[in-house]
Amino acid sequence: MKGTYLGEFEELVLLTVASLGQEAYAVSVKAEVESNAERKVNISAIHSSLYRLEDKGFLTSEFGEATQKRGGKPKRFFKVTSAGFSALQQSKDLKEQLWSSIPQLTFQSI
Amino acid sequence: MATDKQHIEPPRFGTYLLQRIYGRELYDEISGDMLEIYADRLQSHGKAYASFHYMVDAVQSLRNYDLRKKNNTTQNNSIAMFRNYFKITLRTITKNKVYSALNIMGLALGIAAFVFILQYVTYENSYDKFHTDHEHIYRVRYKVYRGEELNIDCAAAVPRVGPFMKEKMSEVIDFARAFPVSGVMSTNNNQFRENRIHVTDPAFLSIFDYPLIQGDAGTALSEPNKVVITEEMALKYFGTTDVIGRPITFNSWFEMSLQVSGVTINVPDNSHFKYDFLISYETLNNRTRDEETGRVPSEEGWGWYDFNTYVLLRDGTDPAAFDRKFNDYLLEERGEDFAEYNFRAEFPLQKLTDIHLYSNLLQESEPEEQGDGQAVFFLTIIAFFILVIAWINYINLSTARSVERAKEVGVRKTMGAYKKQLIYQFMAEAVILNFMALIVGLLIVFFGINYFNQLTGSQLSLDFLLSLNFWLVAGGVFITGAGLSGLYPAFILSSFRPSDVLKGKFSGNKAGNTLRKVLVVFQFAASVALITGTIIFYQQLAHMRNADLGFDMTDTLVMKGPAVFGADSLFTTTMNTFKNEMLKYTEIEAISASSNVPGDEIFWTNSIRKNGETPDKAKTIYIVGIDYAYFDTYDIELLAGRNYSKTFSTDTGSMILNASAIRYLGFESPEAAINQKVMFWDYPKTIIGVVDDYKQMSAKTAVSPIIFPLALDENNFLTLKLNVDDYSKAFEITQTEFDRFFPGNPFDYFFLDDFFNRQYDNEREFSRVFTLFAVFAIIVACLGLFGLSSFSAIQRTKEIGIRKAIGADISNIIFILTREFMQLILVSIVIAFPLIYLVMDGWLDNFAVRINLGIPVFLLAGLVVILIAILTVGYKTLITAKSDPVKALRYE
Repeated sequence: MKGTYLGEFEELVLLTVASLGQEAYAVSVKAEVESNAERKVNISAIHSSLYRLEDKGFLTSEFGEATQKRGGKPKRFFKVTSAGFSALQQSKDLKEQLWSSIPQLTFQSI
Repeated sequence: MATDKQHIEPPRFGTYLLQRIYGRELYDEISGDMLEIYADRLQSHGKAYASFHYMVDAVQSLRNYDLRKKNNTTQNNSIAMFRNYFKITLRTITKNKVYSALNIMGLALGIAAFVFILQYVTYENSYDKFHTDHEHIYRVRYKVYRGEELNIDCAAAVPRVGPFMKEKMSEVIDFARAFPVSGVMSTNNNQFRENRIHVTDPAFLSIFDYPLIQGDAGTALSEPNKVVITEEMALKYFGTTDVIGRPITFNSWFEMSLQVSGVTINVPDNSHFKYDFLISYETLNNRTRDEETGRVPSEEGWGWYDFNTYVLLRDGTDPAAFDRKFNDYLLEERGEDFAEYNFRAEFPLQKLTDIHLYSNLLQESEPEEQGDGQAVFFLTIIAFFILVIAWINYINLSTARSVERAKEVGVRKTMGAYKKQLIYQFMAEAVILNFMALIVGLLIVFFGINYFNQLTGSQLSLDFLLSLNFWLVAGGVFITGAGLSGLYPAFILSSFRPSDVLKGKFSGNKAGNTLRKVLVVFQFAASVALITGTIIFYQQLAHMRNADLGFDMTDTLVMKGPAVFGADSLFTTTMNTFKNEMLKYTEIEAISASSNVPGDEIFWTNSIRKNGETPDKAKTIYIVGIDYAYFDTYDIELLAGRNYSKTFSTDTGSMILNASAIRYLGFESPEAAINQKVMFWDYPKTIIGVVDDYKQMSAKTAVSPIIFPLALDENNFLTLKLNVDDYSKAFEITQTEFDRFFPGNPFDYFFLDDFFNRQYDNEREFSRVFTLFAVFAIIVACLGLFGLSSFSAIQRTKEIGIRKAIGADISNIIFILTREFMQLILVSIVIAFPLIYLVMDGWLDNFAVRINLGIPVFLLAGLVVILIAILTVGYKTLITAKSDPVKALRYE
C-alpha cells in the first residue's frame, strides 16, 4: 500500500520514538538519533519524518508543556501506534528472515 | 533570568523563514524545538555558533515547505479559483460558439498575418547579413557630375579605385572587385550560356563568406586562368564536386581555357550578389594588357565603370569621414583630369546591408531582385495594423457582451467576489482566448506558408519556428495581446454595481459605446485605406504594363548572339548571310542585330556635345549599337529625318538619336536637329534622324538620352519578328538555321514581352502581398463588425418586436438596425481617403508614367467597403427583422 512504506531513516526515527517512551519530541529524538546512530542529523529532517509518520498513522501525538527555554512554545510528544509497532515488527521479521537465509559459508568467510 | 531572555533571540531572518515555511498549525511547536536547540547551542558553543546553525537549520527546513499543507484550504483557494475561471471561460466559449469563433478567428488571422509579414520583412532585411564582416563591408559607388548635374550614379566603379583606396586609406583592410561578364562555358560534354560570371580579386573569397567545399580560399583566385565555381555548376558541368584542376572553356569577347581551382557553396538566396563562376582577376589583366605600353586598363583605368568594388574597413571607421578624407586624396590624384574635362567623380561608400533594400543605382548586380525598403516599411506598419484590428475586435466583442455578463458579475459580487478577483477572471479569459488564437494562428501559418510563398514568390521556410527570436516575438505579441485586449473589458465588467445589475436596470454602458464606435471607425479606416491602396497599386501596375511603350514587343523572339566565333573578320559577312537566309522564310517578318534590346539595361556610354561647343560642355549619353533593320523590326517611329540606309555610304559618319537626346543636347526640335553636327567622343557626326522616345527600360523610369550608332558588328542580341501565330514552326526554323550558321553556340532565346515585363516582377510580388493582407485586414474587421451588429440586433429584439407590432415593415427595421454602422463606416471612409490620397500620391511620384488619382478609384473603394459592410451587417439584421414580434415580446 502506498504511503505505508517505511524508509530507512523513518524506521530509525520510529524506533527512537519507541525507545524514548513518554519523552519523545523533536529535539530529544534528534539527540537520541545522533548519539545512537553516530551521525549528524538536521532538525528539519526529524520534523519532516515525524509529521509524515504521523500522517501515515504510525505515530500519534499530543501537546506537552511549554517552557521558558522554548520561548513559551509547547512541545509535541509523539507515541508509536499499534500500526507503527506492527510496521516495525514486519520490518524486523523481514530482515531476520533474510539474515537466516544467508548461507553459513558466506557468513563465515567474512 | 534576565540575561537568558536577552540571549534567547535567534537571527530574525531565520525566524521569518520558518514562519513562511510552516503553516500556522505547525509553526508554534516547531519554532519551540528550534528555540530549544538554539538555547542548548548557545550554552555549549556561544552565540555565533548557535546563530549560524539556527540559520542553517532554517534554510534546510525549506525541504518541508509542503509539510501538512494538503488540507490547508486558504492556501489552495487561488488555484481552485483559477481552475474555476478556466471552467467558466470554456463554458462561455461553448455557450456562444459564434462569438467565440469570431473572436478566436479574428485574433488568429491577425496573428497569422503578423507572423507572415514579420517573416517576409525579416527575410528582406536579412540580405547579406550572413557575411561575418557585414557590418564593415561597403560597396564603392561611382558618381559623376558634369557641372552641378549628377550624370551617373552607378553601383559599379572604376578598376583603379579599389587599389587606390587601399594604398591611401589606412582604414581599408582589403578590397575586392567583381567585373560581370557573360558568355558560353563549355566542357567536353556540356555547353551552356552563363550570365552569372564575375571576374574577381583573390580577396573576394576572404572578404565575403562563400565557403569553399573544394580548394583553398586564400589561393584559389591568385593565379591567372583559374575559375571558382559553385556546387551547382560543378554538378551541372562535371556531375561531381571533386573537380579541382578540371578544364573549362570560356567564350565571350575573349576566349580562354580556364582551370577549376575551387568549389564554393551555392550563393544563398539572400545575397545581393549572385554568381555561378568567379574568374581570377589576373586572367582579365592578361587580356587587357597592352603589349607595347605595358599598361593594364583593367588595373589602372579611371573611366571604365563596370567593376563592383567592395572594401572591408577597420572596426569603428566612420564612412562619412572616410568619404571626405578619400575625396581629398582623389582630388590630388585626379584633379587635373577633372579640370580639363569639366567633370568630377566621387566614390562614396554604401553599406553592404543597405544594398538590397535601399539602393537603386545604375548597374545593380541583380536589378530585378532589388528590394524596396519603402514597401517593406509599409508592410511592417500593415502587420501591426492587422494585429491591432484583431485586438480591437476582442475588446469590442467583450464589451458588447458586457450586458450578458453583467448578471454573472452581479452574482459573483453578491457572493463576495472582490473587484480584483473579477479582473483576474476576465484577464484569465483574455489569456486563454489569446492563447487559443495563437495556436490557431500558428496552425494557419504552418499550413498556409506554401500558399503564401507561391502567391508572393518569396522563399519563406518554417525554420523560424525553431528560432528563439521568433518565440520571443510571439510571446511578446501574446502577452501584449492578452494584456491590451483583456484589460479594458476586465475593468469595465468588474466595475458593475451588483444592485443595479441584479435589479435589471443595467442596459449597457455609454462610455463603452463611444469607445466601441471609435474603435470600429479606426478598424474600418485602416481597411478602407488598405483596399484603396491596393486598387491604386493595381491600376498603376496595369497602367504601366499597358502604357504606350513606343515600340512593339508582340511576336518578338530574341536570341542571344553567337559568342563563339572562329575568325572575327568573317563575322559581319556571316551575320549578313544569316539575316538574308532567315528573311527568305515567310514565318520571319524582320530580323535585326543590336547591342541591346528594350528591357536590357544599357551599360555602354560615351560623351557627346554639339559641334562648336567646348569639351567642357560634353555630356554623357547612352549608346545602343544597331543595324539597318532595328527601328523597323521594333516599329519605332521616326520623328524626323531618315533611317540608316545601305544606299548611303556616308552613314558611318551619321547618327540617329532619340527625342530625349535631342532635348538633352539643347536642340529646339527634332526637325531642327537634322543635319546638325555633334561631337561623339572626339568624332564629328551628322544627325540624320530622330526617333521617338520609346521606353528602353520599363515605364517606371524616365527615358534616357540614347544615341544609336550604326554598328554592324554588334551581335549581343538578334531580334526576330515572327509573322505567324505558329510559334513552334518559326521557332524550329530559327533554331535549325542558328545551329547551321553558328555551330558551337548554345541557342539561347526569350520572347521579348516576357523579358520586358519581368521588370515589373517586384511590383507584381508586392501587389500580391498587399492584396493578401488587405483581404486579411478586411476579413478581420468584418468578423468584428458581424459580431457587433448581430449582437446589437439581439439586444434590440424587444424594441424591434414593438416596432413591428405597431406596424413597421422589414425595410424600416433593416434601415434602423444598419444605420448606426453605416454612419460609422462613412466616417471611417471620410477619415481614410485624404490619408491614403497623400500616401499613394507620393508613391506614384516614383514612376515616370503614373496614373492620376481621380474620384472613380475612391468611389470604387468606398462602394466595395460599404457593400462588404452591408453584407456583414445584413445577415443577422435580416433574420432579426423577419422574426415574429410575438416571440420577441414574450422574450422575458
